Amino acid sequence: MKRIMICLLLLLAGHFPAAAQEDAIAKTNLKVGDVAPDFTLLSDKWEQVKLSDFRGKKNVILAFYVLAFTGG
Amino acid sequence: MAKLEASDTVVLGISIDSPAANAAFAKQIGVTFPLLSDMNKEVLTAYQILKPYDVKGGKYQWAQRTTIVVDKDGKIQHVEQGDSAVNPNSAVSVCTGLHKPHGAS
Repeated sequence: MKRIMICLLLLLAGHFPAAAQEDAIAKTNLKVGDVAPDFTLLSDKWEQVKLSDFRGKKNVILAFYVLAFTGG
Repeated sequence: MAKLEASDTVVLGISIDSPAANAAFAKQIGVTFPLLSDMNKEVLTAYQILKPYDVKGGKYQWAQRTTIVVDKDGKIQHVEQGDSAVNPNSAVSVCTGLHKPHGAS
């Protein structure tokens, strides 16, 4: 019985890499010290916001989120 | 947020949502910083954080949850991805730390 359980566990474990791949992080190659790629995007108030407009004035935290109305 | 304003820091939220969706979202969660629409996914592509999602058999490409701190010189000071990026504490501490060298100005 114990052996069967172990076999089952091993079988299940075999399925995990696929699931893990689904959750893999889309890892950026950007790193500390790189110049952040500039962009201009429309805000929720329909105003153009340009990253480089903050240069020399403000630090900017870019918070990328998956979708509005979802957690996190 | 007050801590961030004191350290000369702004926050920009970015997703593939439309401005209308972001406006409703901003109202619901009560944020005062801009939520930006990357509807063409140009920024997500440039930042290499497009992630495939599988929803009910459909394939989509949306943002990988990521926090990036850009300093006043336009340089990246901090990159955080995945679940830990939900918690802004480390990004905040990077920014308040960035303020110190400029403290005299």
